[in-house]
Amino acid sequence: MAQTRLMRELERQGISRREFLTFCASMAAVLGMPKSASATIARAIETEERPILVWLEFQDCAGNTESFLRAGHPTVADLILDTISLNYHETLMAAAGTQAEDALESTVAKHKGKYIALVEGSIPADADSGYCMVGGRSALDIAREVCGNAAATVAVGTCATFGGLPAARPNPTRALSVADAVPGVKNLIHLSACPANAENITALIVYYLTVKRWPPLDQYRRPLFAYGTLIHDACERRAHFDSGQFVEEWGDEAHRHGYCLYRMGCKGPATSQNCPIVQWNSHTNWPIGCGHPCLGCAEPNFWDVMTPFYERLPNVAGVSASRWLDPVGLTASGAVAAAAVIHGIGEVRRYRRGHHRPPEDKGHADENKHESDSNEESRK
Amino acid sequence: MNAVPSDAPLGIGRERVYVWELPVRLVHWLLFFSILILAATGYYIGNPFFSGTLVMARIREVHLYTSIVFSLCVLVRVYWGFAGNRYARWSEFIPVTRERLRSLWKSTLFYTFLSREPVEYPGHNGLAGLTYAVIYGVYFVMIATGLALYQVYAPVGSPLHVFRFLIPFFGGLQIARLIHHIGMWVILIFMVAHLYFVILYSTIERTGIFDSILSGFKFMPRKPPVKP
Repeated sequence: MAQTRLMRELERQGISRREFLTFCASMAAVLGMPKSASATIARAIETEERPILVWLEFQDCAGNTESFLRAGHPTVADLILDTISLNYHETLMAAAGTQAEDALESTVAKHKGKYIALVEGSIPADADSGYCMVGGRSALDIAREVCGNAAATVAVGTCATFGGLPAARPNPTRALSVADAVPGVKNLIHLSACPANAENITALIVYYLTVKRWPPLDQYRRPLFAYGTLIHDACERRAHFDSGQFVEEWGDEAHRHGYCLYRMGCKGPATSQNCPIVQWNSHTNWPIGCGHPCLGCAEPNFWDVMTPFYERLPNVAGVSASRWLDPVGLTASGAVAAAAVIHGIGEVRRYRRGHHRPPEDKGHADENKHESDSNEESRK
Repeated sequence: MNAVPSDAPLGIGRERVYVWELPVRLVHWLLFFSILILAATGYYIGNPFFSGTLVMARIREVHLYTSIVFSLCVLVRVYWGFAGNRYARWSEFIPVTRERLRSLWKSTLFYTFLSREPVEYPGHNGLAGLTYAVIYGVYFVMIATGLALYQVYAPVGSPLHVFRFLIPFFGGLQIARLIHHIGMWVILIFMVAHLYFVILYSTIERTGIFDSILSGFKFMPRKPPVKP
């Protein structure tokens, strides 16, 4: 096989063949493919032309970029995604100013309909608002041009996918997700989470290279390989949940023994992602693994619906329903029961005073009332 | 069964009327017991206050199986609203006729102490019927939020996955969970009020309303029933 540019680069950087194949095997694992698929993946990466990537950053904290830079096999992933095919990335590129904007412009012009746009951050709805301008252009303008001419758009992170923190109530910049800002965008894929897991970003691109199409998606357009499982169902603390063993307080004995964080507001039962399996920072650990409840960051509007983060139920009128709902429900039930007793006593008194005539008398009285009725007549 | 001789000797001026058919009574009691079980297990799931080997898993299991009984009961009762006798029909619950609207007005006056005349009618009075219609609405909300919450746990290939559209419909699983929890208290408060009004009516009307949900019969003052 003729040596490709990628293989030369790998050799130059001192990455062994073994290390490269390990990366391919780990990608197969993330994608839920059999081990034998790693050979196919290796062949695809070696021989296929890299897709050209453009990474746009709008209203965000660059957290997804940070996550991306800490990929499980950083050198290999970097080579595949960054060195070889990432044509524009404000945070990572060496170019600045006009040079940088030229890179974007020429990529869009030269590879129209062929490149993949990765978008990080939400987009203010109003182009004239002055929020989030890059090179004198509004985010909305750039997103519509770049995503509109892309072969596919990947919304990386919850801000680009669902609006995220900038779109949380009261949403001062009127922030939109990519789907809302660029209606009708082609092949939109969502990689939600705050930040998106680097393994999933890389795996998505590797999947595309290997299979030549985009993976099956869930109802929020998220790849099923990464978002097909509820965190709760794959959680290492699930056994404690099933046996009703819960952390009641930070640092208590149960917390030190790694009990379930359900009562501390864990949103694992409402969140789908592969965190328990793929984990973070090169499979070092993940939030629940180190004793912190899941915040539900991969779900729509998580800043609004998953808060308060340390309570079971969302806020109603600024207070978590976990704090007031059961006492209020119990009090209301008791109040209705008490009202019933008081009302009942009143009714019995009224009855004894003769306000309600005995039914037998009433029966006769009614008969008089209905004298005109023919049925009644016949009965008499 | 309706052909009970109206001149049977049942005390002065009373006749036996077959009101609640078997499916109505069966659904009533299955709903009663399933709601008690669902509320008890649901309370534990929302606020697990004791532990034991697989206790949460078992309690969730009981909750899920009971929810099947509950949902089927609600569906059967809605079907019976089109197939049952006049006292079971949907028009007894949703007041569209002039008579039902008048009954609603009269019974509202009675319950709010503005009138001392209870509505004498073998079936539901207007206000009771409307209340049950609202409670059935709450039942459907409970079933829908329950399906949304269960759907994410449903095993691969389960037909219940078709209900995943309910998650965005309710604005997320956490909102569905909140509504589900509030619904429990609404139903429990209804049960307390329902029990009281049955006792009250049983005492002042003496139509045997309390026993009627077991036997199906009520003992009405001898006169033709008011047209609904």
